[in-house]
This record gives sequence, C-alpha cells and structure tokens, in this order.
Amino acid sequence: MKPIEKYVETMENKDFAGLAELFTKNGILSDYCSNSASQREYHIYGKEAINMFFRNKFGFRQYSIMEAEVVNDTQAEFIANFGGYNIMAIATVREVDENGLIERLTVRPK
Amino acid sequence: MGVYAITGASSGIGAKTKELLLQNGHKVINIDLKDGDICVNLASPEGREEAINKLHEMHPEGLDGMICNAGVSGACGNLPLIVSLNYFGTVAVAVGVYDLLEKKHGSCVVTVSNTISQGAGRKDIVDLLNNIGDEKRVLSLVSSMDSTNLSVGNSLYVSTKYALARWVRRISSSWAANGVRINAVAPGNVHTAMTATMSTSAKMALNALPIPTKYGQECLMDPTEIAEVMVFLASDAARGVNGNIMFVDGGTDALLNSEKVY
Repeated sequence: MKPIEKYVETMENKDFAGLAELFTKNGILSDYCSNSASQREYHIYGKEAINMFFRNKFGFRQYSIMEAEVVNDTQAEFIANFGGYNIMAIATVREVDENGLIERLTVRPK
Repeated sequence: MGVYAITGASSGIGAKTKELLLQNGHKVINIDLKDGDICVNLASPEGREEAINKLHEMHPEGLDGMICNAGVSGACGNLPLIVSLNYFGTVAVAVGVYDLLEKKHGSCVVTVSNTISQGAGRKDIVDLLNNIGDEKRVLSLVSSMDSTNLSVGNSLYVSTKYALARWVRRISSSWAANGVRINAVAPGNVHTAMTATMSTSAKMALNALPIPTKYGQECLMDPTEIAEVMVFLASDAARGVNGNIMFVDGGTDALLNSEKVY
C-alpha cells in the first residue's frame, strides 16, 4: 500500500497509533481546513505528537473522515468532519523518506 | 517566614502545596470541609464568611499569600456544588481577604484547569458568572440541567474554571497596582482523590487527553508538579508575574492548541 492509502485507512479506522507510525520521527502533519473550533489550523510536529493529538480528536469524536477516495499516488479526497462541521478536504503526502515514511502531509480544503 | 492561607489543602494539590510551604518555613492555614485549621463549607455564603472572619481574627496584620485551590470535578454529580464551590467560593474568599493581602503586598494564586482551552465550556454560563455574578440565579438555571449526564457536569466545570481564569485576568491589574499579585494555575489531569474516584468512562476521557511529558506511561500528573508552580507563583520569585494563567499540564494545551500563543 502507498502511504496515502495507509493514511486513509488509519484515519477511517480512527487508528491514532497506526497513523503516527506512518510518519518519520519528526514528521509533520499540517491541517489547513478551517473548522468551527477556535483553532483554524493544526500543525503537529513529530510522530508522538500525532499519536497523542489524534488519540484526543478521535477519543472525543471531534474528528473523522467520510467518503474517502484516493485520487492519485499522493493524494486523497474526503469529507472531513470537525465536531459536526463538514468540509471537503484533500490530503497530500508531500514528502516521504527512503523507507516510505511520511515526512510531511498536508490537509487543505478542496 | 510568611503566613499563607490555602483552601482545599486536606488532600491532593492543596495538601502538597501546604507541605511545600511548610518545608519552606511558612505558616499555613488550611481551610477545608474536613481536617482543616478552619473547617467550613465554602460552597455556602455562611461558610465563606466564617472563613474570612477567622482569617481576619487570626492574622489582622495581613497575609503573604492566599491560595484558592478548593474545587470539585465535573464528575461529582452535584451541579450546584460545582458552581458554588468552584466559582463563587473562590472569588468570595479571594475578595474577602484582599485587605489582608494588601497589608503585606501578598499574592493570590487560583487553581483553574487546562480544560478551559479545550472548548467544552458554555460561554453563556461563563458570562453569567463573570458579568452578572448572581449565585441564586445561576443555581436556578443549573437546577434544570441533567446532573446524571457526565458531559453536562464537565461543561459546567469548565465554565466555572473559565470564568475564574477570566476573573483573575480582569482583576489582576487593579490588584497589582495596589501591591497584590494574582495568578492562576491551569493543571492538566492530576492524580488526586478527586480523579481516583472517577467513573470508568470519566477515566477513559482523561486518557484521551494525552500528557506529552508522560507519553506512553498512561499516568496522570503528580500533585507535586502542580504544587511547586503554585508555591513559585505565591513567592516573591514571581514578583514580575501577574494576571497569568499558567498551564501546568505537561504540554497538553500546547499539543491541542499549538497555534494559540497567547
């Protein structure tokens, strides 16, 4: 499976630990989707932070994705749900290392 | 040697704070429902008045510090208690001993919670607490809420702590201009008697609030970690710190709100 496919799979399964393992030690996940929360963007640095962040978001049902579709080797589209606020988003794996681990992934409104 | 009064020092964060202050050679007066030097119920207006009067009788020369720590969790199942103790009890005691703090240019430290930044509070209730401050009316509103619903209790808890933090910010300038500093500590999830008695679902919610400094340990913060910061804020070493809401949560707030730098 390609990194973007693994990303979609872990997000759909709310597998925060699996999601974190897709990233390098210092991998970065930047989510630029405007949402109803007071914070408009998320920039999460490091796999442990990604693990903890999504454990929180999934645990409190503040984040989920629906209708996901991998559109090419590095991108997937889905409906991102931020605590009941839906937005069409596109995730892009920007950089991977030689082992296929994600160094940088962005999520932006489509 | 200074004289410090502290509410809720019979257990948890308060007890550790008292212990550290005593180790530093200070006199400490514990105001608590049980096992206190002054035993009163700070959820009631009469209890607050009694505590304030006794402090004036004991130390008419003034206080070096007032640490307002007493509070209950959102899982206590008693919604009026959350409002009366966490917010009104704290504000009344702090205001009630302000003249004693002024005499010695003392400082006040208030315990809030890092949940204030996580969006679960009700702004309408926060505004009622801060801007109206009518305890009876707020209690009347609360009486119609579902006390068996954990999320309702949590939301009310966060609202009282948010209002407290905002009250600290609002009052801090004028108090400091008169020589009295006031700050708040916003602890993360701490292992206390309060958290030890939480339900399984409440504990699961706690674990979904990761503590970066405890990564992979599945444990809560130690009360000493909070108490040491409270003692610092109450001390002269923090003389330049005023109106600050200091998060002592191992980095949970930074994790969840990295873009909020102020």
